[in-house]
Amino acid sequence: MFAEADLLRLIEGDCSPEEAAAIQAWIAADPTRGELLDQLRAVWRLTGDTSRSWDVPESLTRRSRAPRRSSLELVATRRPWWRAPWPRQVAATIAVLLAASLLWRLPRPAGPSRSFATARGQLSSLTLPDGSRALLGVDTRLRVPRDYGIRQRMVDLDGEAYFVVEHDARRPFIVRTPRGSTEDLGTEFAVRAYRQEGAVQVVVVEGRVALRGPNGADSVLVTLRPRERAVLDSGGKATVTRDVTLAHSLAWTRGTLLFDDAPLGGVIAQLERWYDLEITTDDATLADERVTISFMTKSADEALVALAQVLNVRATRAGRLVRLDPVGPRH
Amino acid sequence: MSEPFHHAASAPESRLPVRASRPSHDLWEAAFQAYYVELCEYVLRFVGSAEAAEDLVHDLFLRLWDSRALRGSVCLTKPYLYVAARNRALKYLRHRRVAAAWVERASREETPTASSPEDLYLRRELADVIAGAIADLPARCREIFVLRRHHHLSYREIAARAGVSLGTVKSQMWRATVLLKDKLAPYLTPPAASYSRPPQGFSV
Repeated sequence: MFAEADLLRLIEGDCSPEEAAAIQAWIAADPTRGELLDQLRAVWRLTGDTSRSWDVPESLTRRSRAPRRSSLELVATRRPWWRAPWPRQVAATIAVLLAASLLWRLPRPAGPSRSFATARGQLSSLTLPDGSRALLGVDTRLRVPRDYGIRQRMVDLDGEAYFVVEHDARRPFIVRTPRGSTEDLGTEFAVRAYRQEGAVQVVVVEGRVALRGPNGADSVLVTLRPRERAVLDSGGKATVTRDVTLAHSLAWTRGTLLFDDAPLGGVIAQLERWYDLEITTDDATLADERVTISFMTKSADEALVALAQVLNVRATRAGRLVRLDPVGPRH
Repeated sequence: MSEPFHHAASAPESRLPVRASRPSHDLWEAAFQAYYVELCEYVLRFVGSAEAAEDLVHDLFLRLWDSRALRGSVCLTKPYLYVAARNRALKYLRHRRVAAAWVERASREETPTASSPEDLYLRRELADVIAGAIADLPARCREIFVLRRHHHLSYREIAARAGVSLGTVKSQMWRATVLLKDKLAPYLTPPAASYSRPPQGFSV
C-alpha cells in the first residue's frame, strides 16, 4: 500500500488530511516504521530550519478576511501531571535523587560509601552534592566515598560515564579506576573503564584533564585538551589521539552504539551490555573480524539482524542466549 | 544555517514584547509573527498534513484574536500556545479517528525545550559535519536535495529546473535522505536525558 518513501510526504506535510491518516495508520502497524520516521525527521531537522516553507502572509490576510466570531471559550485542558508519561519519569528520578540527597545529609556514623549503578541496557544521570553531574553508561557502577567534597572530590568508576564538573581548583575532581585516575582541570569529559577491558579511555569535551596512574599520587602521564582522547593500556602507556569526532566517541550518551573498524570481541561485549544478552560462537575465525557498524535501535532482535548481516552469520536467539553460526563461505 | 539544529522552534524571544501597556492587538500581532511558523511545525508532527496543520494553528490564533480583550496577554505566551496547539492537534486526530497507536505515539511528542548540556559538544562540530555529509552526496542527489531543503522549491519546480521527471525528483530526495540518515547516524538520536528506558535500579 505505502512504501517507506511515503514517510517523506508525511514529514513535509505534502499530503491531504485523508492521506496523512492512512500513512499514519500504516506507520502505527509496525514499530520499525515509526523508528525510521523518527530518524528521517531528525535528518530534516538537522538539514534545514523548517520541514517546508510555510505561507505566513497568506494566513494573515485570511485572518483579516475571516468573519468576526463571537468570543469563544478557549480552555487549554492541561493533562494532569501524573498521567503524562515523561513528567512522571522525571518525578521518579527526582524522587530517587532527592532520597539520595536526604541520605547524604543525614548525620551518620562513618560507613560505606554510596554507590550508583545502572543495569544492562540502561543509562542514568545523577547530580553529585557539589552540583557536578554524571551520566552513567550501561552496566556501570559509580562509587561516591562519604568524604566526597570535603578535601577532594574522588569517585570510583567501573564502566563508562560522562562528567560535567563544577570546577574548583581547591577540591580537585578525580575519577579513579583500577588502571588510572583522571583529574579534572576544566569541565567536561568522558571516562570509559570497564573492569573486563584492560584499557582506560578518556575523551575531553571542554577544559583540560590530567591522566595519572592508578594512585592519586602518581605523576601526570598526559594532559588532554578538548577533542583529544587518551587510551591508557594495561601496561600503563598512554596513547593520545587529537581531533576526535566527539559525536562518535560520545554517541553512547545519545543512546547510539557506534563502532569504527573495531575488533569483534569488543563489539560483542558492548552488545551484551546494551541489550542484556550472552553471545557465543564456535566459529574461531570470527575473533579476527573487525567491524564498522552502528546500532540506534532499542530492540535486541534488530541489533542482531544488523550484526548478522555485517558478519555474514546466522544469529539464533533464545531468551538472553545468542549463538552466531557461519552461513556459507566468508570473504 | 549558522545553527542548523535549532530549527524553527527557537524564534527569538525578543520578538515578542510582553508589556501590559501595549494594545492587545499589537500583542496578538507579535505572537502571530513570532510563533505561527513554529506552531505549524509542531502541529505538523501530529497531523502529517500541512493543510490540516495550518488550519489548526490558524484557528487557534483566530480564537485568540476574538478573545484577546478578555484574556489579555496570558494566552499569547509560548508555553500557552504550545499546550493549546497540542490539545487541538490531539483532539483533531481523535475526531478523525486516526489509528489509536498513532495518537498514542503523537501524544508523546514533547514541546521543544532548550538543549541539554550534553548537547553542547555537538554544536562545535555539527555544522561542519552536516555540510560535509551534504557535499558527499552524489551530484544529482545533492542538487535536488539542496533545491528542496535550502531553496524551498516545489518538486515540480525542481523537476523543471533539473530537467528530470517528477518521479526522479521524489526518488532522489528519498535517496538523499536515506544516505544522510546513515551518515549522520550519531547525531540523530535525542540526548540521553530523554532516553526511553526510564531510570530505575539506582542502588543508594
